[in-house]
Amino acid sequence: MKKIIFTLAVSLVFSASAFASSGNEVEKQEWSFNKLTANWEKDKIKRGYTVATQVCINCHSFKYVSHRNLMEVGFSEVEAMAMAATMDTKINKPLLSALEPTDAKDSFGKIPPDLSVINKAREGGADYVYAILTGYPEEIPIDFEGANYNTAFAGHNIAMPAPLSEDLIEYEDGTPATIEQMAHDVAYFLQWTAEPELLKRKKLGTYVLVYLFIFAILAILVNRRIWARLKK
Amino acid sequence: MKKAIAWFDDRLPIFSYMKKNLVEFKEPKNLNWMWTFGSLAGIALVIQILSGVFLAMHYKPDVNLAFDSIQQIMRNVDGGWIIRNMHAVGASFFFAVVYLHIGRGMYYGSYKAPREVMWWMGIILFFLMMATAFMGYVLPWGQMSYWGAKVITNLFSVIPFVGEDVVVWLWGGFNVGDPTLNRFYALHYLVPFIIVGVVILHIWAVHHKHSNNPTGKTLKKKTDFVPFHPYYTAKDTVGLSVYLIIFCFMLFFMPDYLGHTDNYIPANPIQTPPHIVPEWYFLPFYAILRAIPIKEIGVIAMGISIAILFVLPWLDRSKVVSGRYRPIFKWMFLVFVLNFFVLGWVGSKPPEGIYVLISRISTAVYFSYYLLLPFISKFEKTKPEHETL
Ligand code: HEC
Repeated sequence: MKKIIFTLAVSLVFSASAFASSGNEVEKQEWSFNKLTANWEKDKIKRGYTVATQVCINCHSFKYVSHRNLMEVGFSEVEAMAMAATMDTKINKPLLSALEPTDAKDSFGKIPPDLSVINKAREGGADYVYAILTGYPEEIPIDFEGANYNTAFAGHNIAMPAPLSEDLIEYEDGTPATIEQMAHDVAYFLQWTAEPELLKRKKLGTYVLVYLFIFAILAILVNRRIWARLKK
Repeated sequence: MKKAIAWFDDRLPIFSYMKKNLVEFKEPKNLNWMWTFGSLAGIALVIQILSGVFLAMHYKPDVNLAFDSIQQIMRNVDGGWIIRNMHAVGASFFFAVVYLHIGRGMYYGSYKAPREVMWWMGIILFFLMMATAFMGYVLPWGQMSYWGAKVITNLFSVIPFVGEDVVVWLWGGFNVGDPTLNRFYALHYLVPFIIVGVVILHIWAVHHKHSNNPTGKTLKKKTDFVPFHPYYTAKDTVGLSVYLIIFCFMLFFMPDYLGHTDNYIPANPIQTPPHIVPEWYFLPFYAILRAIPIKEIGVIAMGISIAILFVLPWLDRSKVVSGRYRPIFKWMFLVFVLNFFVLGWVGSKPPEGIYVLISRISTAVYFSYYLLLPFISKFEKTKPEHETL
């Protein structure tokens, strides 16, 4: 039985790694939200919000996000209301694009997807979104036929024209708006919109696991004690 | 208080019944850790039902609202994300535990006389679980929900003459749509309670003929047994705590790992995803389905691949119950289990190129276990069984 269990365990590990499917050209980036102790960084959210609401929203909606949600990551109600006001909207209104689906279809042949949960809806998450946004090379293969060439997109033919360009927007905090910076900030923002509970979840999880480890040790000790009775 | 309980128990002996079956019940004293998966499966079921009831309070079974309502639960319901992840991850863990539980039964011969009926109840439970999980996966109404529902319900079209009508009847329309989602929701809420009923029968049968044990022998001596409480309550608590550590790790740190990213894309009937894959726990059977080029036979093979468990007690003709004393069976079983992983892996791959070949070979290996067993078990030279525990 021991031998069998061992062989099983080894094969489990192998099959688990085989199950994890490989993506296309998506490089892993460093994300501060991967750290266990991280909190959502207000300035990064603000920058990502700026990109999202000045660039992406021209085509994409964020239907599960409203300005009120910003109050969960350190913005005051006054700030959130002011930000909503600059966009001519109300604090409780979802962030919707003004682009009509039919118009989008006419212009791009496709309807731009809602971006609220996009980081969960694509293999690679934030890395993938970053790769898409930075994946428009200056030189495209000569034999490419299609709308726009993208290194990360499956099939490389993407309907979205390169949305970012150097200094497309101006950051309030003076950060230079390079393509990489904007891509990073908006992908970070999208991680928050996709799973606002992410950091809370991991922190709570750490406590739960510590508690369960203690519980397991106690359970093991009690179990030993009880079974020791039989030996007497 | 004691008096009140005695008064009540005299009229409806529910307390003495529970005491007899959950406290004083006699278990073989040599059960190893593989025997914890039974009670873990029970706990996994309770977790699913409880978390499910809370989800049901917020979920909306409507094709236009279902996807959004899940996001509402994740974002705006207090503790909603915990409950929802618990339910989703919990389904996977339920299957993992049940697979281990079935595997333990197969290795130690728990299906053999006098436990055949108990074994049948278990297989019925497995079928009911699969139906429940399948319908549950449709509820979030993502791309995989929709297309998975479409592919699986379409399998019924192979039924001669009435197949197409049966599919329309299942859908409640001419496509997977609002009526389908509604009925799946109703059934997804109903079947778990049928499962609870069959679990009671399953445990009843176990208690009637006693649990099997690693030696497979029928124990007669009183000293071979210990009361369930405190011995196995303590042991199962250890099992539970280890289970909860792994479960909570997945729940809090990688809740979406076992799911498919496509299910975060709302269902779109006019856009087929590149690969339609079911949840991991269906993959071995999905691989068998696809391994066979003729659809009708594939569906039958998939059905038989599970239903064959019903006759396993008679396919195995060995007098020796436990795999421990059966040198050839042991290795056959190991190959069977490893092959099951191969089936699962190949089930997640697109049905093209080398994967087709692999899936065919491992389908053959899967069935050869059941086909060879009657012969091997007859001629196999078994090792002497241990006399004392
Ligand atoms: C000019 C309109 C437009 C703008 C502006 C725009 N997009 Fe898009 N986007 C599209 C269209 C159209 C698609 C659909 C592409 C396809 O499926 O081929 C798309 C698709 C996407 C996808 C999904 C790609 C996939 O894997 O299916 C992501 C992610 C995305 N956009 C992110 C962004 C971000 C972030 C921004 C803001 C920086 C942005 N987009 C700005 C039009 C736009």
